[in-house]
Amino acid sequence: MTPAPPPLLEVRGLCKSFPGVRALRNVHLSLAQGEVLAVVGENGAGKSTLMKILAGIEQPDQGEILIGGKPVRLGSVREAAHQGIALIHQELNLSDNLDIGANIFLGREPTRFGCIDHGRICRSSEALLDEVGLRQSPSTLVSRLSIGQQQLVELAKALSWEARVLIMDEPTSSLSQGETEQLYRVIARLRDRGVSIIYISHRLAEVRELADRVIVLRDGANAGELARAEVSHDALVRLMVGRDPSDFYPRTTHTPGKTLLEVTDLRTTAHPRARVSFTVREREIVGLAGLVGAGRTEVLRTLFGMDRSLGGTIRMGGIHLHRHTPGDAIDAGLALAPEDRKQLGLILEMAVGQNLSLVSLARDQRLGFLNRAAETRVATEAVGQLRVKTPSLDQPVFFLSGGNQQKLVLGKWLAMKPRLLLLDEPTRGIDVGAKQEIYRLMEQLADAGMGVLFVSSEMEEILGMSDRVLVMHEGRITGELDRSDLSGEAILHLATGNAAQ
Amino acid sequence: MQRSDIGPMKKTLGILALLFVVCAFTAIYNPKFLSAYNVLNTLRWTSLFGIVGIGVSLVIITGGIDLSIGSVIGLVGSTLAVLLTQKHWGVPAALCAVLALSAAIGLFHGLLITRLGLQPFVVTLCGLLLYRGIARYVTDDQSLGFGSDYEGLRVLAIGKVAVPLSGGFQFPVPFFITGAIAILAGLFLHQTIYGRYLLALGRNELAAKYSGIDTAKMKLLAYLACSLLAGIAGILFALDLNSIQPSGLGEFYELYAIAAAVLGGCSLRGGEGSILGVLIGTALLRVLYNAINILNIPTHLEFAIIGAVILSGVVADEAVKRFSARRRAVRAAAQA
Amino acid sequence: MHPWVRLTATAVALLCFTATPLPTLAAAAKKRIAYVTNGVDPFWDTAAAGVHAAEKEFGIKCDILMPPKGIGDQKRMIENLLAQGVDGIAISPIDAKNQIGLINEASRQANVITHDSDAPGSKRLCFVGMNNYRAGRAAGVLVKEALPDGGQLMIFVGRLEQLNAQQRRQGVIDELLDRPEQDLEKMKFDPPGKVVGGGKYGILDTRTDNFDYARAKANAEDAMAAHPELTGMVGLFAYNTPKCLEAVREAGKLGKIKLVGFDEQDATLQGIIEGHIQGTISQQPYYYGYHSVRILNALSNGDKSVLPKNGFYEVPIVQVRKQNAEAFRTELKKLQAAGK
Repeated sequence: MTPAPPPLLEVRGLCKSFPGVRALRNVHLSLAQGEVLAVVGENGAGKSTLMKILAGIEQPDQGEILIGGKPVRLGSVREAAHQGIALIHQELNLSDNLDIGANIFLGREPTRFGCIDHGRICRSSEALLDEVGLRQSPSTLVSRLSIGQQQLVELAKALSWEARVLIMDEPTSSLSQGETEQLYRVIARLRDRGVSIIYISHRLAEVRELADRVIVLRDGANAGELARAEVSHDALVRLMVGRDPSDFYPRTTHTPGKTLLEVTDLRTTAHPRARVSFTVREREIVGLAGLVGAGRTEVLRTLFGMDRSLGGTIRMGGIHLHRHTPGDAIDAGLALAPEDRKQLGLILEMAVGQNLSLVSLARDQRLGFLNRAAETRVATEAVGQLRVKTPSLDQPVFFLSGGNQQKLVLGKWLAMKPRLLLLDEPTRGIDVGAKQEIYRLMEQLADAGMGVLFVSSEMEEILGMSDRVLVMHEGRITGELDRSDLSGEAILHLATGNAAQ
Repeated sequence: MQRSDIGPMKKTLGILALLFVVCAFTAIYNPKFLSAYNVLNTLRWTSLFGIVGIGVSLVIITGGIDLSIGSVIGLVGSTLAVLLTQKHWGVPAALCAVLALSAAIGLFHGLLITRLGLQPFVVTLCGLLLYRGIARYVTDDQSLGFGSDYEGLRVLAIGKVAVPLSGGFQFPVPFFITGAIAILAGLFLHQTIYGRYLLALGRNELAAKYSGIDTAKMKLLAYLACSLLAGIAGILFALDLNSIQPSGLGEFYELYAIAAAVLGGCSLRGGEGSILGVLIGTALLRVLYNAINILNIPTHLEFAIIGAVILSGVVADEAVKRFSARRRAVRAAAQA
Repeated sequence: MHPWVRLTATAVALLCFTATPLPTLAAAAKKRIAYVTNGVDPFWDTAAAGVHAAEKEFGIKCDILMPPKGIGDQKRMIENLLAQGVDGIAISPIDAKNQIGLINEASRQANVITHDSDAPGSKRLCFVGMNNYRAGRAAGVLVKEALPDGGQLMIFVGRLEQLNAQQRRQGVIDELLDRPEQDLEKMKFDPPGKVVGGGKYGILDTRTDNFDYARAKANAEDAMAAHPELTGMVGLFAYNTPKCLEAVREAGKLGKIKLVGFDEQDATLQGIIEGHIQGTISQQPYYYGYHSVRILNALSNGDKSVLPKNGFYEVPIVQVRKQNAEAFRTELKKLQAAGK
């Protein structure tokens, strides 16, 4: 009996840590030639890290990668490409000022007498474009193509490397229905030609349509694997949501008070045609769930005055907010801890103390002069209350861990005593201990009478922390779930555009 | 919290050390460098250029740039001469008019940059051409002089004041003007919430916005202050020289100012800088020019020498920064 | 067709269209000549007065162009003039040695003469100006009058690249050191940056300021700080002497440091009248303008007899001292008023 041939690609015991986070724990997967493998998991489950390692962008801390049964080192994108692995990013990486041919051969232009050989680029590109089913001349500028067509150019580019393994990171997230179907056809054709595909997706329908096999990641580890016949909506959700979350969350029952925020027919720039209406009450934690791109962040930004609203009314504690600035929002009692703490939440090079006092400076000023005593007091209190680990208030925020940084993003608002706290992905990319501390703080603030409206893509967090959940899909609120009807399945249903059951 | 200014302070000390070394070197080779007359002159030029440096440093702290300073100096100087000698305006009216003119220019820059979202480099580069052209137009491109009719006004630029306990040494009047401006600017930058806002938005404008800071207003203020200070400097330069060449007055001064600000610890990436550092940076530049003359170094070498000194200052600063960042990271890792 | 191929084709077609009628237009127009200076200065206003006087006298139109931004600006102006098809140009080259190519190119298309500063070795038809070397010697004479017992001097100038600056400087030095008169064609220059002489008269250094007035003043101040023994300053360019006077006045050394200058800025004349400046060498720019236009006009009518034999039309210099300063100023004012 001959032993089975080794799989085309195999990953064994992969581990990877970032400061404060264990992104991958002992992950394994295997991929046969001509197989479409779907990798599914919630945000932060480790999918992107895994793919970056396979594409040579990140290096694993432990574990090995085998191609055709032989261990390989993927030290750079070039080495990965040499092994036949190509990653097609979620954000497309094309130069839209160049034409299709130039993009496909960018960095390895064929030359003739030291000049770029346009004829050869043109001929080779035509063949590749034919293969991916894109009917465009190679001299068309990429900026004239639709997103779906650009995706196909990315595919052609990967094929020009003679890739044996194509990794596609949520390729349909911004495609129209027609473009999605065309992409499906191209993927099917590539599979038939023996190309293996790792397909990352949030969309369960898509996984059912395309995948030969599905592996599910959760918290950076393998959570399970399903063969094509076993793939069902419920089975996937069970694996993604995983263990019983109740003991992790310090939730108590609140009795909500008066209505704090009342939003009616709000229209945001992300989804100008969708109208959003909801309320948040005192002493209440409301979760805002939905897939990435559902328009949740934009709702928070618009409430806080960072984005102009396109219509509708916002009433905050009896104050009508219209064409307001963040300053007006703060005066009305709003606070926003944005998702991207490094870009939006903190000033990394500034000291811990100065970051914490930035919002309250204006309140504590004396004729425009800094009130150093008040500044120190505000910072010291926040550091104490949130148990921020920092050697001093003078430490630049840059040197703190992700969890401690996130505490600062929340901490600077505490001194302002806001009435409604808006949190955008409050625990993204931080470790379990810091997560729990932030949950405890949310709980504490709600107990003290504050309203909390938080956006999260982590199902467990939504289930564990919310008194009430609003689910968004393509800019609309597709459903509202009370604590009693809360379940992962119900949320996923609403988040993928199905009506409430 | 007071100790959080230690980073810029260290930088200021570094540039001060460099200034001291250049002074000591020059004084050893030619002791006349320390003569009262030479010190007075160097102080006067440092004061005049320092005003411009303070102005541009406020803009640089926001992460922007102002290339139009030299032309604003030229325009203000020319306009002042036209108003006084050709239109025969009174001195207070003429001074107010040119200061209002420079403030209006700053406001114009600020509005274009904050409301229309234009790049500061482009806006002020166009300003550089525009104001120089206007200066040459309003004067018919003729040199203008104050003659000997404005000796009283010229005291602002060339007057000398003896100070008690200075041992007979007389300080130039611009020294006190710049001193007052520097104290105001220093208080503003380091002691008011608005200064903190400037530093914060220079580092990360979005994060500042998310903290409820009206970043557009603060940037507007910085450009206004920069042009206003350029206007004040323009008046003093014109009075000091007593004759104005519209095509030449102030040419390249924005570059001296930017160089001084960078030497003095401002980062062109924004969010960093101290007024004291900028003054010391200006002093270093002026001392270098002075030393080249005092030591009889051929004038054609001056740009090379000044370029080399600025570059070595910046390189040394970066080296120190990397070294201390590494030490800090090691310490932080040890604590974690 | 590729977009840029199409564009080029259109451009070529357009050019063919517009290029043909131009010469006929130019031929129909009146004769045009131009007078190009080396910068912007009141000095050139006086020259402009001469240009205007000659325009009236000979019935010709002459454009006056003053490049404010140095050599690149001057080149651009000359090229524009050639493109417009002028008949003659008078140029004051900023950097003669390196502009010979430009001057020869211009000579192919128009009558070109130089004024104020010459371009030896070029194809220019003649040079209208003073003998800068002799002017320097005349300034040296003024220094000797001011400091009969000898003294230590510094020379101040905008740029030393210009031939007129080099010749003036050498004239001053040769006169003070009582050297024999040099031949203009094969002049030897003392290198700047070295102390020259040192007997009765010493020239400590030559300082340049690139036309930055603030630098010009600071240079004079630094000279006094570095050299307490300094007794004289010579400003080679028009603005240098007034800036030296400012510095000397503020240092309280009026009368102790003797000043000699060139040209006739009002502040210089005022200083002479008040007795703070020994004197100045006026090169009579009025006649630069006047004779340049006169010669270009004749050339454009085909008359070559106006060209001097050795190619040098020398405009005599005037030494202005306290005695004749007042009268000189009155005359100058009259000329400048006529020039505007």
